Amino acid sequence: MTPTSSRSPNVPGGRRDSRKHTPKANMAGLYQRAVKEAFVKLDPRIAVKNPVMFIVWIGTLVTLLVTIVPDLFGPVPGDLNQQRLLNGLITLILFLTVLFANFAEAVAEGRGKAQADALRSTRSDTIARKILPDGRVEETNSTELRRGDQVKVIAGEMIPADGEVLQGVASVDESAITGESAPVLKQPGTDISSSVTGGTRVVSDELLIRITADPGKGFIDRMISLVEGAERTKTPNEIALTVLLAVLTQVFLIVVATMSPLANYVQAPVTIAILISLLVALIPTTIGGLLSAIGIAGMDRVAQFNVIATSGRAVEACGDINTLVLDKTGTITLGNRLADQFIPVNGHTDEEVAKVALAASVFDETPEGRSIVRLAEQFRATVDFEAQKAEGVEFSARTRMSGTNLPDGGEVRKGAVDAIKGFVRSRNGKSSADLDAAYEQVSKLGGTPLAVCKDNEIYGVIYLKDIVKPGLRERFDQLRRMGVKTIMLTGDNRITASVIAQEAGVDDFIAEATPEDKIEVIRAEQSQGKLVAMTGDGTNDAPALAQANVGLAMNSGTQAAKEAANMVDLDSDPTKLIDLVTIGKQLLITRGALTTFSIANDIAKYFAIIPTIFAAAGIGALNIMQLKSPQSAVLAALIYNALIIPALIPLALKGVQFRPLTADQLLRRNIFLYGIGGVIAPFIAIKLIDLLIPIA
Amino acid sequence: MKTHSIFAIRHQRPIYLFLGLCFNLLVLAPAVYAATPEIYTPSQVAWLVLLGGVTLALSIYLFVVMFQPERF
Repeated sequence: MTPTSSRSPNVPGGRRDSRKHTPKANMAGLYQRAVKEAFVKLDPRIAVKNPVMFIVWIGTLVTLLVTIVPDLFGPVPGDLNQQRLLNGLITLILFLTVLFANFAEAVAEGRGKAQADALRSTRSDTIARKILPDGRVEETNSTELRRGDQVKVIAGEMIPADGEVLQGVASVDESAITGESAPVLKQPGTDISSSVTGGTRVVSDELLIRITADPGKGFIDRMISLVEGAERTKTPNEIALTVLLAVLTQVFLIVVATMSPLANYVQAPVTIAILISLLVALIPTTIGGLLSAIGIAGMDRVAQFNVIATSGRAVEACGDINTLVLDKTGTITLGNRLADQFIPVNGHTDEEVAKVALAASVFDETPEGRSIVRLAEQFRATVDFEAQKAEGVEFSARTRMSGTNLPDGGEVRKGAVDAIKGFVRSRNGKSSADLDAAYEQVSKLGGTPLAVCKDNEIYGVIYLKDIVKPGLRERFDQLRRMGVKTIMLTGDNRITASVIAQEAGVDDFIAEATPEDKIEVIRAEQSQGKLVAMTGDGTNDAPALAQANVGLAMNSGTQAAKEAANMVDLDSDPTKLIDLVTIGKQLLITRGALTTFSIANDIAKYFAIIPTIFAAAGIGALNIMQLKSPQSAVLAALIYNALIIPALIPLALKGVQFRPLTADQLLRRNIFLYGIGGVIAPFIAIKLIDLLIPIA
Repeated sequence: MKTHSIFAIRHQRPIYLFLGLCFNLLVLAPAVYAATPEIYTPSQVAWLVLLGGVTLALSIYLFVVMFQPERF
């Protein structure tokens, strides 16, 4: 345990929603472009990709033919001009249905493209100083760099591509991708700061970097392709839904195609235009029109969160996660522990401990050190030596303590209890039973004990408290209600770990965990058929990140971790994993809710059309909506069918409001709201439209 | 070689379509016309058979979607 460890310099501070993310998407002109794109998508080569809407499109062309020649497929009853008018209206509504579906997809794609453009704005071609094998430096365009090339980047220059620092220490401005204005320190050989991202700028000193991604293959490039939809492949959930929609469409196609002879047999002949209307009303056009928009919008939401997902599958997997494996430090607790109490030993007073602790911390700029100074000041402790003449002793992993060499030759130290005991013994001092009791007391409270001494005398123990991030307990409660189990991993001892676990409200914890334990935990959970998500940033996290179903690597982490993970958080905020689970669930819930609504709608449309067109067959009593005529019933059902698509676009793009409920509760709620609501809403809407349209 | 095969497929489609239409006009439509009541004219029967063909094609298309959904 490092008594004076500090927060990772790469983690942006402040509330996430208050941070400025530079890649802001420009949504100006989105809808005009989407209208244009909706017409472009009428191209049969594009339309064929959406089976449900392709059937509607073909139906539109057939109704267009019977608008021009009403008796093209056989004699029609009544006036030809009236029939032509009805067929024309049906054609227009069907055409609008296809256009609205195309528009929904185009809006989602447009938002994705705008997001991609914003991401792309962080990339720009730049001249890189490539180091040749013979040591010479050659200036080359960044697009010509290949994986394995070495480049030198000096202060003021942009880093040409994703890479790993081989040599040098420099401050890098990563605001282009993280929105965090404070530069971060980059140096080789460390887990948290050795990787650099293309498009960020070196603000001081220089770095020797090995390029780790070919042009167009970096993380941001992959995300651009995904949000633009260029490389969007269907997720397993989308594939299953596509099959379901195709099966439903096939069933209704066969039913409607074989309906004409039956209609003739029951003396209620129907025209081709009415049969096509019936087919369109029965097939699930609402979800067929919105399906791809929901998927694209899901990816878009992840990108807006400043997370790079390498596939839509990963985003969707977030929604199915059963177990979250979380590191304690930085994820559950704030990275920096704060001084909470002084515990005097050997007969000293609180004030004396405060004075020595203050003297030992005057040169300590870490958040822990600052918090010790603040606590000491509460005890009115003051520095009674000239700081300029004193010398600060920095913390090191070897000594495990820090402190001050006083001008009068005295030495004040604070650090791990064992280390301070050793320091005192080396100066002929003694440890005491008091100290061990204070150490145990702090450990039992879940804190970190720091002993304080001056020369050969131990004064007391500082209780460094691990601060659980505010609001986490509620988030874990929410996750529990959704059936997601949380496991905390920490290198702390069992007593400390259990206290933090209890305070944070996690379901389970593993104390004194090694990186190898992570992969063991994941495997154990997966062997029970569970899906596991975890975060990591170090090279030793890479196997676990690859093993997890959702691996979220920190952007500040090593290249190995980023390559093993299927998501990278540009903000390097491990807590975001919890938000990603929410986004994934929201995506799945939205798709499920709109599918339920679409299929429930078909029932109402069925009751609107069938009883009126087959009234002659004696089923007029089923016309429970008392619609005026077969013509108005068909038009009302089709108008509703067309209008519901644009009406649901905002919901498809924004997602159904997320509620932390279990799968059963969600299912019941969705069936009630979108199932029963999906039956009732069209009944009311179709009746209203029937009353409004002037066709008898 | 690959270019040649794509070229061939692209140019074979209209030929198949043309042959299908000829088959409809010369074989299917007369056969169906012979078996339908006299209220239908020969051209109406030809269009009906064509519509039946389109419906069959859509049905086959939907089966393809069912068995190879990742393509769509």
